Amino acid sequence: MTPYELLWQPFADFAFMRHALVGCLALALGCAPIGLFLVLRRMSLVGDAMSHAILPGAAIAFIVYGLSLTAMSIGGLIAGLVVVLAAGLVTRATRLKEDASFAAFYLVSLASGVLLVSKWGSNVDLMHILFGTVLAVDDTALAFLAMVASATLLVLAGIYRALVVESFDPEFLQSMGGRGAWAHFAFLILVVLNLVAGFQALGTLMAVGLMMLPAASARLWAKELPALLGIALLIALLAAYVGLLLSYHADLPSGPCIILTAGIAYFISLAAGTRGGMLRSWLGRAHLEA
Amino acid sequence: MSHAHHHAHDQHGHHGHSHVPATDAAIRLDNLTLTYHRHPVVHHVSGHFLAGEATAIVGPNGAGKSTLLKALVGLLKPNHGQLDLGGLKPRDIAYLPQQAAITRDFPLSVQDAVLLGAWRGAGWFGRISRGLRQQAQDALARVGLAGLGERPLDELSAGQFQRVLFARLLLQDARVILLDEPFTALDAKTTADLLAVVAGWRAEGRTVIAVLHDYEQVRSHFPQTLLLAKECIAWGPTTEVLTPARLARANGVAVSWDDDAPVCHRDSLPPPADTPHDHALHDH
Amino acid sequence: MKLPLWLTGSLACLALAAPAADKLPVVASFSILGDLVSQVGGDKVEVRTLVGPDGDAHVYQPSPRDGKTLAGARLLVTNGLGFEGWMERLITASRYRGARVVASDKIQAEQMAEDEGHEHGHGHDHGKLDPHAWQDPARVQQYVANIADGLAAADPANATYYRQRAVQYRQTLQQLDSWAQQQFASVPSAKRRVITSHDAFGYLGRHFGITFLAPQGMNTEAEASAKAVGQLIQQAKREGIRAIFVENISNPRLLEQISRETGAKPGGRLYSDALSRPDGPAASYEAMMRYNIATLVAGMKQN
Repeated sequence: MTPYELLWQPFADFAFMRHALVGCLALALGCAPIGLFLVLRRMSLVGDAMSHAILPGAAIAFIVYGLSLTAMSIGGLIAGLVVVLAAGLVTRATRLKEDASFAAFYLVSLASGVLLVSKWGSNVDLMHILFGTVLAVDDTALAFLAMVASATLLVLAGIYRALVVESFDPEFLQSMGGRGAWAHFAFLILVVLNLVAGFQALGTLMAVGLMMLPAASARLWAKELPALLGIALLIALLAAYVGLLLSYHADLPSGPCIILTAGIAYFISLAAGTRGGMLRSWLGRAHLEA
Repeated sequence: MSHAHHHAHDQHGHHGHSHVPATDAAIRLDNLTLTYHRHPVVHHVSGHFLAGEATAIVGPNGAGKSTLLKALVGLLKPNHGQLDLGGLKPRDIAYLPQQAAITRDFPLSVQDAVLLGAWRGAGWFGRISRGLRQQAQDALARVGLAGLGERPLDELSAGQFQRVLFARLLLQDARVILLDEPFTALDAKTTADLLAVVAGWRAEGRTVIAVLHDYEQVRSHFPQTLLLAKECIAWGPTTEVLTPARLARANGVAVSWDDDAPVCHRDSLPPPADTPHDHALHDH
Repeated sequence: MKLPLWLTGSLACLALAAPAADKLPVVASFSILGDLVSQVGGDKVEVRTLVGPDGDAHVYQPSPRDGKTLAGARLLVTNGLGFEGWMERLITASRYRGARVVASDKIQAEQMAEDEGHEHGHGHDHGKLDPHAWQDPARVQQYVANIADGLAAADPANATYYRQRAVQYRQTLQQLDSWAQQQFASVPSAKRRVITSHDAFGYLGRHFGITFLAPQGMNTEAEASAKAVGQLIQQAKREGIRAIFVENISNPRLLEQISRETGAKPGGRLYSDALSRPDGPAASYEAMMRYNIATLVAGMKQN
């Protein structure tokens, strides 16, 4: 097999492969920075929990509008926003930490959703319908992802400094009257937006996986925030590209393939990462001095 | 109704210092009461912090010292009484809390952390000018971290980290600096270097108010002291406040304090002006 | 589950009238079986279905109400062949000790085929039996026979009635089969190729000589591989297959993507594992088969 056949031909031959790659690119652009901040703020499990938290919104939309993907996505978005913002408010107002508040709210949300579906829904697996698959990214989904990515990058550029300070030393920001709360909530809204867009276009595994794995891996290669962002993005894109090729040549399911590729990247980072990888400490090398 | 606690009672109405004209007082407290979860933590404290002076706040644990600092910087609203900042604006006050909420391993460089001190000027979007960067370098030099600007925060020792926070304070360029237990668990060298920075602030005419536990540090660098055990036990020159008798009284008050007593209101007994140390025994 | 109004009314009357022996309470695992049981049992049975119209029995999760329903039944009719993975647990939980009919008993079951022109991967374990035997009207004859036997054993008083109705319905099935053969005969065998979302039509394909291609395997849970999708598209383009159908229980997206890329228009929905709601085109087994076959033929003619 020629390098061309190995590395590019599947994309040349099939529109669905190209769409999948571009879809992953769009998702990664928004998700990589979001994922990185989630990791830094110790909110790493929010992503997966969110896929459950959006259930009541999708269920209500289904009950009212039937099997309309748009309605269910919007419903899911609203439910996710409610959960995330309520948890954020509780964290700021009480002594409870972010993870406990979020756990509480998403569980309540999930239970409400299951109840709604049991009572008024149908036997159809709602989430099965709502969650997309990476091989079925159509133009609408691409446009949606691109919009979300652009919005994310714009907003992040705006709140970047405030978010960094708020993540590093919130009391400092508070004493300076810096209104860190706004940055915090804007960030949470971006989280929900990216996740729901990701779920709808590519499925939960893909969305959460592309968000969290590259971010977790990046920490083992760099120490400065800009470098971390770049590395996370790079890993996400590589995982998508390699994963899709693997799925094609080895005849494996695509979504899991991409995420497992990202997982392998993570293990490689763990072992060989230049900042904190295990091999370095085992081999007894000193850290680079300034 | 029985008393819920003892008062520190100074029979002679002895004032810790002579009457001070208002213009020299940076911050005035007037019968200030602060509560935390509905328990009075700072109790009817009156007095003033002298401008340009270094005042230490000492007292037993749980005496309300940190709470008082929080009120000074505006993070807590007074439950009762008055807090007069004498025209000081928020940008004039810098505050270094005890460090519970800081994420130490956040991927910032030392210089970035120091530059946060310029937040008031730069805000969410302002450019960091070369002049500011130079200021940051100078601040790092002053705290003994010259040349470590590019080092990531999580590679610093506790002492180095505290120096970075002081450098940040330097950049804030505030007239009043509040420090909450800034030298706890630091090595001697770092403490000495940072105390020198405090001395530098005094020389520049800035007001420094610090919560401290180490009386040697207080005696050597802080001419004024407020001895607080929820109530003001004594407030004045350090030599007169830090006496064994007063310290014992402070401990006594702390030990016998009943937290579950209802909050008391002393509306019936207006405090005498400028005599913050008279606490008459009274009924609740 | 949506019971037709007349049945609900009968049940209400039944609830009011004390003796329980009036109608035989039967539980069917999913809507297709439910219809078959109703056809044979007539008004001597009261059928409750667990997985209702448009429901996906592959991923169904029984509720406490299902347990209660089952506990009150005297006969349970299941498909077997591994279709209802959740049934054993439900039986244990509800402590059901009544009679059971496995509708696919004595049926020559087929495996998920690799030959028969399925040249793509399935993503599942080979050696697994294909449970969708109801798609073959000839095999449903045996289904009906098994059901009739079961009903007669559980309710001997009405045995003759059941057997009569079974005979009648089997005639209907025979007519259905002939009609279907006619319909498919109008499509040349080279054109009898169809793309659907999952391999539920193996038996139908074998019986009528149609090739069904799918990017996923038997299970709606399974994910497709890029290679499988790619091969499917290439084959569709190469052989000019334009008949592409989405099933009523699966996510249409992947199929729509394939349609777009092959330039075909999706041919409509097929009912594979469940009936439609009563106001839909596939409210009974016979209606479902007629609808599916008509849709298939129309689609294949475009190939």
